Amino acid sequence: MDAEKLIMCAISAAALDLCALVLMITSYREKSSGKKRWKKISADMELADRDRGYPLECDEILIGRHENADIRIHDMSVSRYHAILNVADGKWTITDIGSKSGVYVNGIHVEQKRLRENDVIGIGDRRLIFRKRRDRR
Amino acid sequence: MSNPFSYVFSCIFVLLAHGAMLFNVFSNGNYDDVNSVVVLASVVIGLDLVYFTIMPFFRQQTYAVDFMLILILNMGLIFQSCFGGVDFQLKHFITVIAALISCRIGYLVCRDHRWIEDKKKYIWICIGILMGIILLFTGSRSMWISLGESTSIQPSEFMKPLLVLACATSITEQQKKHKFLCFNIVYENIIPFGIIGAICLFQWWCRDLGSIPTFGAIYVSGFLLRICYPKGKFSKKPIIIAVASLAVLAVIAVMLAPPYVKEERLFVDIWANKYTTGHQQCQALIAIADGGWFGKGPGHGFLHTVFAYQSDIVFSSISEEWGLLCAVMSVFVLLMMVAIPLVNPPRSYYHGSMCAGIAAAFSVQMALNVFGSCNMIPFTGVTLPFISMGGSSMVVSGLMAGMLVAAQSPVFKAPKRKKNEKKPQPVQPVQMQNIPQAPPPVQPQQEIPPQPPINYTLTDRRK
Repeated sequence: MDAEKLIMCAISAAALDLCALVLMITSYREKSSGKKRWKKISADMELADRDRGYPLECDEILIGRHENADIRIHDMSVSRYHAILNVADGKWTITDIGSKSGVYVNGIHVEQKRLRENDVIGIGDRRLIFRKRRDRR
Repeated sequence: MSNPFSYVFSCIFVLLAHGAMLFNVFSNGNYDDVNSVVVLASVVIGLDLVYFTIMPFFRQQTYAVDFMLILILNMGLIFQSCFGGVDFQLKHFITVIAALISCRIGYLVCRDHRWIEDKKKYIWICIGILMGIILLFTGSRSMWISLGESTSIQPSEFMKPLLVLACATSITEQQKKHKFLCFNIVYENIIPFGIIGAICLFQWWCRDLGSIPTFGAIYVSGFLLRICYPKGKFSKKPIIIAVASLAVLAVIAVMLAPPYVKEERLFVDIWANKYTTGHQQCQALIAIADGGWFGKGPGHGFLHTVFAYQSDIVFSSISEEWGLLCAVMSVFVLLMMVAIPLVNPPRSYYHGSMCAGIAAAFSVQMALNVFGSCNMIPFTGVTLPFISMGGSSMVVSGLMAGMLVAAQSPVFKAPKRKKNEKKPQPVQPVQMQNIPQAPPPVQPQQEIPPQPPINYTLTDRRK
């Protein structure tokens, strides 16, 4: 193969490389806009105890004592699989998944309840606040 | 895509890549009439422009998978049109259009997981219907249904996306245990296992043993995610048992493989049988070596004289004419496409499980094709997704790409309540007083009394 043909083959391969690289960078940059979209879907809420907040990063958050729970509470009053939080249309719902001590929202025992901002969720002996996410330093 | 500039920027680079390939065809290609190059170029660039114009109407959140899809599909069209001489392949172009349409269908069907989880019984029924079709309409122990002289479909291909969906839609139902004799049975665990068992039997019946690893990979990815799912009882024991069972099954499968598989596929010395059972692989290896890094030029290869040069040994055909660098790049684009969920992780178990199943299917299929062509593993005759010629394979690959797009642009809608389904009522406070563990009522605005610190661990499964 002569030099000119070789250069053409190399250029076409390089163009493919470049395009693949650009698409990869574009999809990486989409990561930040994906977070913004999730903020919109999840209404940017978090579960908080006294001094810490736990962002809700998935459409299904398991709360319990089990090691694989999303929010793990080391407390014997909390069941291993206690409650689950779901989001749909920007609204979060808490569902009791067969816990022994039950789920309380603002002191009322519930099986399933749509959450509003600043609701206090009682799980076993623990209380968590469902609130807007706050930026911390 | 949130930024229109990045959309236009991506469009330009895809056009640039296709333009460079087409210019290479024009300057280096083997053609008698320049019109064949002009037709190919106008079809490729035209398809790019039409797709870029249509895509924004779907209002997706991200278009990264779509760009990679159109990049690789048109690359495949250029490759296929150049094997053995530049000539536009209308049949392959039609399958590319079918793949793009099925991608849109896959996206629209799979983006709302609550909707499709409600319809999972229909997925199981569809798999059953496909098995019935294979039994009734394929020829004697064949995997093809002939629809004419040059057209045939492979129904078993359509079971791949259905198996992915069967695994993904049942992952969140592991809490529902049913008492059967003295056992607690979870139907959503038993049914995918039954489905994969039945599919493997059918593949054996159809003599399509090469597809079994792909189906196996889909099920294994679903199974691993299932036992790692928080609501499942996670422990090392199931993983060890699963891996050990797989190893034992693989050994048994090799031992009990039919003689034609052992003699012609598993234990074949290709150089000793270079005119019989090892012919394809010998020629494929020679072609890869002959092509070198930059290839012999589009249309200048000899591999088009070998059977299945467009499908089973397409990697070698590309290596010969376009060079190993280009062939590896085409595989790399496909790998990048399935790796996008790692960059922008899905936000639900269903979408995560679906992405894992699709990534497993594409990766295994790709590995079987590439390593099979290079004689590193037994030759299976599996297609290279989006590049090999084949209608059923292309449509199914498009559908699975659409499922990836759906995982990148999901919808989280509330499930529709059935007419006879009552809203869950909160328990009355009077009843609550009898419960000793109940915490005292707290007003929303009230300060929370200090509590002992809770040791929380937020495990992000999506990573």
